[in-house]
Amino acid sequence: MAHLRAIVGEEGLLEDSSRAAPYECDGLAHERCRPEVVLLPRSTLEVSKCLALLHSHSIPVVPRGAGTGLTGGATPVEGGVLLGTARMRRVIEVNAKDRFARVEAGLVNIDLTRACCDEGLFYAPDPSSQAACSLGGNVANNSGGPHCFKHGNTTRHVIGLVIVMANGEVLDLSAPEVDPVGYDLVGLFVGSEGMFGIATEVTVRLTPTPEAIETLLGVFASLDDACDSVSAIIAGGWDASALEILDKLTIAAVEASVFAAGYPKDAEAVLLVEVEGSAVECHENAEGILAILADHGVLEVRRAQSERERQKLWAARKGAYGAMGRIAPDLYVSDVVVPRTKLREMVRATTDICTARGLKILNVFHAGDGNLHPNISYDRRDSDELRRVIEAGDEMARVCVEAGGTLSGEHGIGLEKLAQMKLYFSDEDLELMHTVRRAWDPSQNMNPGKLLPIRACMETRTRPVPVEASGRAGS
Amino acid sequence: MQTTPTQSAPCTDAQLVDYAASLDCVHCGLCLRTCPTYELTGRESASPRGRIHMMRSVAEGELKPDAAFIDELDLCLLCRHCESACPSGVNFAAMLEHTRARLLDSSERSWLVRRALGLGLGRVLPSPRWIAFLAGALRFLQRLGLVQLASRLPGKVGQAAAACPPVPPARERRALPRHTPALGQRRGSVSVLEGCIMPPLLGRVNRATVAVLAAAGREVHCPRGASCCGSLHAHNGDLQGARELARRLIDKHSGLLGDDGELLPIVTNSAGCSSHMKHYGALLADDADWAERAAVFGKQVFDFSEYLVRFAFDDLRPALGPLEVAQPICWDDPCHLCHGQGIRDEPRALLDALSIERVELKESESCCGSAGLYSVLRPLDSRAILAPRLAALKATGARTLVSANPGCQLQWSGGLRQTGSEVEVLHIAELLERALAHGRESGE
Repeated sequence: MAHLRAIVGEEGLLEDSSRAAPYECDGLAHERCRPEVVLLPRSTLEVSKCLALLHSHSIPVVPRGAGTGLTGGATPVEGGVLLGTARMRRVIEVNAKDRFARVEAGLVNIDLTRACCDEGLFYAPDPSSQAACSLGGNVANNSGGPHCFKHGNTTRHVIGLVIVMANGEVLDLSAPEVDPVGYDLVGLFVGSEGMFGIATEVTVRLTPTPEAIETLLGVFASLDDACDSVSAIIAGGWDASALEILDKLTIAAVEASVFAAGYPKDAEAVLLVEVEGSAVECHENAEGILAILADHGVLEVRRAQSERERQKLWAARKGAYGAMGRIAPDLYVSDVVVPRTKLREMVRATTDICTARGLKILNVFHAGDGNLHPNISYDRRDSDELRRVIEAGDEMARVCVEAGGTLSGEHGIGLEKLAQMKLYFSDEDLELMHTVRRAWDPSQNMNPGKLLPIRACMETRTRPVPVEASGRAGS
Repeated sequence: MQTTPTQSAPCTDAQLVDYAASLDCVHCGLCLRTCPTYELTGRESASPRGRIHMMRSVAEGELKPDAAFIDELDLCLLCRHCESACPSGVNFAAMLEHTRARLLDSSERSWLVRRALGLGLGRVLPSPRWIAFLAGALRFLQRLGLVQLASRLPGKVGQAAAACPPVPPARERRALPRHTPALGQRRGSVSVLEGCIMPPLLGRVNRATVAVLAAAGREVHCPRGASCCGSLHAHNGDLQGARELARRLIDKHSGLLGDDGELLPIVTNSAGCSSHMKHYGALLADDADWAERAAVFGKQVFDFSEYLVRFAFDDLRPALGPLEVAQPICWDDPCHLCHGQGIRDEPRALLDALSIERVELKESESCCGSAGLYSVLRPLDSRAILAPRLAALKATGARTLVSANPGCQLQWSGGLRQTGSEVEVLHIAELLERALAHGRESGE
């Protein structure tokens, strides 16, 4: 302990139970485990020294960004150390000419856009938690967001990383000007949920701010109509940058909050559409989409008249999850992907699964991506209700996978969907993933017990691959 | 089965925290980036979400309210910035005040701190005499150069001494007149709150407030015997003391009625006070004799800029003329004005009516670290929180900083003095008063 303290300083190590308590869970509040030690290092060097020391004692390490994850990816493990990046929040470099930025992993997503917006650039992936979540966490979960419909998830924007390996070695893959030679280790690392190592620096592509943006709000009398219009917009080839649906209960929660943006409270569903590009493109796309909305029985369409109004609509959309705290003490945010042609059926199916169990479901989702977020408001102190919530979560995942969808659009697997991995992957698939993981971390002490369901026999079947053999493309 | 947030807590320390309020938080984390102490430390336990998590754990018996717990709660500035970001509407300030109240006499705190806090809140703040005496003594020490000497000491004492505002001479510390007639045609009456530390340290702001109101045709009353609103008591957990002072204040104002027989509007030039006084109804909700009066009183409380813009802008405008002030100016949103009362546009409207160059301060809604007694109790933390704000102010190139809360004004002045900056810090009432003086001269 004294050694760790010497590395991170007095303020960087928390061991009393009060200060450790808030780290016992992330956004998946029913999975909790109080960490014995919380480390808050300030640099790659400190992370490296900490991991080397912990590695020599075979102590498990759970990395944590801002704790906004929704699948328990940052839930501590018994006898392990929690390592947070909240004190690594510097913007190291913004290169407007070559359109990239190099930042420390703890930097909050929105602060990156703030740091480069004066240069006419922005960082495209915009999770709803962007005002709080860290870039490092985004990398770990390959996070998405409303505008990832057009711009792609985090992996399409990360071009370099500095990674501290489980044994403390620093793997420098940040060379943004060079096309990666050999295996794309950066691509492999994105979405690895803290099990390959800890990213301490992230180099990301920056996107030019579009010349024009148009934001439309379609008001519908039914969730079905809203879903169908989304399918039609995509089928029609119109280029929207975001297609978001909010249902009636969600609107009620948001409109009662500080983020109230004037969403119509009597609508059964609204579709928030954004188009961007040159003024001409923007206009054409908007007109095309308006025609489709009209075909699908839209009751009313509003166009954001100012940047301020646009910002308000988006702040409300992104505050929706938090606003649901008004309904019940806890919230379970599911994250599943369905084929967009089956949007209507799958929204219905997930709703039925919840209502059949007496659960309160609120829908707010990235319709364009077919990425559903059935949110269940519940109270974790009611153990039976909690049981039904977990059951409903499992069932929704099963139904979506059967319909040709996937387990997660952007939140990752973490602890939440561990068991369901077997719905989607064969034992061979999972074993291959274990092998890849061991190539990065032979000790398997990085964020153990997440993402990959553990089968006893698997642990011995494959010989660990030494880290050295995994290659050092960038160093 | 539907459980409601109001059910009694399954815990041993159920009474310790406002348990029900802690249940509104769903851990979304949107508050994190707004919290000055989280920004400073990166510690989850020093963030609103972390503090709520700890409070709920204590209420559920999973955590002992130990010294570390109390320290993390004490580190909170109660700036309420998190409330402006919370989609779930968690009433964080009320929850923290309630918890602090229960911890006030906790044996986890040092005896000395408990005694000093008790004395300060119980005896000094409510008593204009005590405050006047201490201000006089402080001025004496400052004249002798002892305070300047102490400011060279290392640690807390040195920081506190360095931050100590210079006490103005006695003639500037005199009380407000009980009655000031309207200038020109009388268009209404108001009463003003004199405040606890305003008369000795910022008497000029009080006089400017009255002058501006009078120039807008308001007859101004200032009742004696009720100077302290009790907000500092509530923030620091002395809810009993806060209730006592609230009753006293309501009582002293009760005789001041307008032409319509209604209670006169109570205009306050301290955002911290107006924010607190607006909630007297909630503070005294359990007191059957006072609850209704307190609620009525709360509705009549207005912050200075809020009152002027809502009720007296047109009356004031003709009285305003060109003024001499170092430009550009910038506005610093006091936390308890923007987060506590949602007042953001009104002061800007007043400033823009003066036709002077105004620049926006980056993150102007972030706390300056004053936070009432905080700057006295935790001088080092208070300064650390001010540091990035000073840098933000420097980046604007502003030469005058305008605010509307005595704590903020003293904090900024102290910080700027220490860094050798020449930026002048003014209360918005002072700035308006300067415009009046000119207006009158050019009119004559």
